[in-house]
Amino acid sequence: MSTPLLEVTNVSKHFLGLKAVDGVSLSVQKGEIVSIIGPNGAGKTTFFNLLTGQLEPTAGEVKLRGQVINRLAPHDRARQGMGRTFQIAKPLIALNALENVMIGAFMRHSSMSVATDKAMTVLERVGLAHLARRRAGDLTLSERRRLEVARAMALEPEIVLLDEVMAGLNQSEVGNAIELLQGLHADGLTFLIIEHNLKVVRAFSERVVVLDRGRWIGEGTADEILTSPAVIKAYLGEGHMGGQSKQTTEVNA
Amino acid sequence: MDQFLNVLVFGLLLGGIYGLVSIGLNLIFGVVRIVNFAQGELVMFGMYGCYWAYVQLGMNPYLSVLVVAPLVGLLGVAIQRLVIQPLHNESNMQIFATFGLLMMFQNIMLAMSRGEAFSIGGTMGAEVLSVGDLKISVVRLVTLVATTLITIGLHVFLRQTMMGKAIRAVTQDKRAARVMGINVEKTFLITFGIGAALAGMAGALLTPIYSITPGVGGNFIMAAFAVVVLGGLGSVWGAYFGGLIVGVVEAFAGYYIDPALKSAVWFLIFLVVLIVRPAGLMGQVGAEEVGFREQN
Amino acid sequence: MNKIDTNHEPVIESGKSVWLKYLGGMALAFLPFMLLIEDPHWLNIIAFTYLMAGLASSWNIIGGFGGQFSLGHGVFFGIGAYMTAKLYITLGWSPWGIMLMAAALAALVSVLISWPTFRLRGPFFAIATLAFNEVAFVIANHFDSVTGGPRGLMIPFKAGFQNMIFKERWQYALLMFAFVALVIAISIGVRRSRLGYYLLAVREDEDSARASGIHVLQVKLQGMALSAALTAIGGTLFTMYLRFIDPPTLFNLQEVGVKFALLSLIGGVGTIAGPLLGAALIVPFENFLRAELANALPGVNLAVLGLLMVLAALFMKRGIVGAYEDLMKHWRHKKGQS
Repeated sequence: MSTPLLEVTNVSKHFLGLKAVDGVSLSVQKGEIVSIIGPNGAGKTTFFNLLTGQLEPTAGEVKLRGQVINRLAPHDRARQGMGRTFQIAKPLIALNALENVMIGAFMRHSSMSVATDKAMTVLERVGLAHLARRRAGDLTLSERRRLEVARAMALEPEIVLLDEVMAGLNQSEVGNAIELLQGLHADGLTFLIIEHNLKVVRAFSERVVVLDRGRWIGEGTADEILTSPAVIKAYLGEGHMGGQSKQTTEVNA
Repeated sequence: MDQFLNVLVFGLLLGGIYGLVSIGLNLIFGVVRIVNFAQGELVMFGMYGCYWAYVQLGMNPYLSVLVVAPLVGLLGVAIQRLVIQPLHNESNMQIFATFGLLMMFQNIMLAMSRGEAFSIGGTMGAEVLSVGDLKISVVRLVTLVATTLITIGLHVFLRQTMMGKAIRAVTQDKRAARVMGINVEKTFLITFGIGAALAGMAGALLTPIYSITPGVGGNFIMAAFAVVVLGGLGSVWGAYFGGLIVGVVEAFAGYYIDPALKSAVWFLIFLVVLIVRPAGLMGQVGAEEVGFREQN
Repeated sequence: MNKIDTNHEPVIESGKSVWLKYLGGMALAFLPFMLLIEDPHWLNIIAFTYLMAGLASSWNIIGGFGGQFSLGHGVFFGIGAYMTAKLYITLGWSPWGIMLMAAALAALVSVLISWPTFRLRGPFFAIATLAFNEVAFVIANHFDSVTGGPRGLMIPFKAGFQNMIFKERWQYALLMFAFVALVIAISIGVRRSRLGYYLLAVREDEDSARASGIHVLQVKLQGMALSAALTAIGGTLFTMYLRFIDPPTLFNLQEVGVKFALLSLIGGVGTIAGPLLGAALIVPFENFLRAELANALPGVNLAVLGLLMVLAALFMKRGIVGAYEDLMKHWRHKKGQS
């Protein structure tokens, strides 16, 4: 098996006695789509922060293309091909959509004109070209989410980490978003996504990892995981697509 | 060698003063999470109020505390309600606003007093206790004692009373406190009020020691910042011991090097602590992010 | 959704359009100078207004674009002032040359002092910069062999372009105008460059900025260095205009360091025209207050400024420029409705 694009080994993050992330391991091959699910407070966003470098792990290793990047600063990880969106998007609301995407494009192209062109191309790819001159503050939620993705895409990443990019979107918006992501995936992007919306997980994941209270509690295909008793137990009534299934995967109960 | 002891004692007494001024600032920092640049001016108001009571009503400064402190406290509540609350998530604007208050307060006082300096000190201020070779200024000793009592009082208040517990809960985690049913806005108002009242108290207690000028707050505010950072946000005893340490360090630096280097001392303490150990000595508030933990 | 987008406006305003606006704006700013060139009293106010506008614009690069509210720019102002005065008096060098050296030194100092302090959050950063200002004041007072201590330094009058000392007041006013024109031009250049966008991103949210590949500390330091250099230049000009400097004049927070921020806030922090508008409004107004009322009521000018600061922070965060933009939006909206 080739070196995973992203490999996380036994990573932990302790805050003053609280174990936000506790010995999680995960690997993502190039071209895969992996979802991370888990109840609120499971440590998913903290985990992402460990991957992108906003936080340094208390223990464990994060490897990108086989190289340990524990000490690599977030902006360098971006340069190495990691793009990411945040749960609460913070676009520059006074600037227009194009300028927002340019902020990402500038990483690889320092000239204004090249960055502008590149940003425009990205906007077209995500279907926001008609809103290029619209103030980011005037965009709808679903447009803002697309803008977030666009800004990450402008970095020309190899792997994109999406943190609950579907939150708050209605059904048709979710459908459009999945279509976009599938297109980007077909273009060759690798995805690691945190998702609450299990329909999205079903439609857009090859593998699902489950975290609960900072710990890895299971991994498998979408079908396997979503019917696993341990996972259902972890969610305990948090709206899931439960059902009986004879098939279960390796699960740490 | 006795000079050493004298300097040490002087430093401790000075530290008592700093602790007194800083306690209110620290409380406000820890709870409302804002830097009240105008805290020194609240002390100044306390001093002027006390002076006025002394001159117009013949009140002993230590007695007028009872009147002056609550009045300054009310001003604090007004500031929180009218200025700070509307700016609750905008830390940059808060900086402008409280600095603007500093300018307003200082200069209104300047205009009102026409730049005249007042002083109560006189005989009271000159009294000195002699213990062996040590000379201890009585009014400063009273201040240190008062600071200690106030710190103990505040500690008890925070531990034993409902309001105090609410304040501590909000200091720890505003969101969780709200979920628990605590009225966070009301807590802010009360905290600012208490913090301001403590400043007013400090002012009243300091009138026998310092000359009363509109700019007198400036003497304390930087030192107070250093104390709060050193002691740790949200820790009452941190402010107390932080004050003592800052006072002692300043006294020794002043005696053995140069008294004009005061501000350098405060500033160095401030910077070094924030870089090396941002939580300070006894910080209650976790300081994962250097300098300040943001609460949204 | 609209049909084919027939809007031929470029998505980002073209350079031509921006620089035309700049020329128009600077011409407008030049008007008071031309109109009042015969009046020495007004010339003085105008000169100061231009100078303060330039200083506020310099602050705006890091404070406005970058969102780093430094209250310590007095330090760089002081570096420009003292270096110019001292080297001119003792070595006779031309202030023009010293100006550039002071700018470089200020940039260096700014990087040295900001590097540890930029990791501090908002208010703590502000306090640290304030503290630097206080330390600079103490140092200036203490090392009196260099700075003249509390007595300050006085520059003897000896007219000559080389000496940056002019016989006529209007020449100084022109010099100050050139300064503000330069700083605003540089601001526009920065704003329309990668650095400008990066500063804005850092201001908005540092984590998002990092995730977009931005080296936040480096960007802040670059903005700060430029801002400090320009502020030092202002210090040089100030020194050669007044020909007297002392520690209180340079390091008084309320009169100097914080004033740069205040003017930007009132005009519109983070905008191009804001600092100039703020200066145009406040400097003459404060001068009037000081002249008319300060004898009877010392400090009333500063009390009013303090009040303005509080009110601006509460009600006019985006300053004059912001108020104007809101008005335009309102009118456009109304026009659209009728």
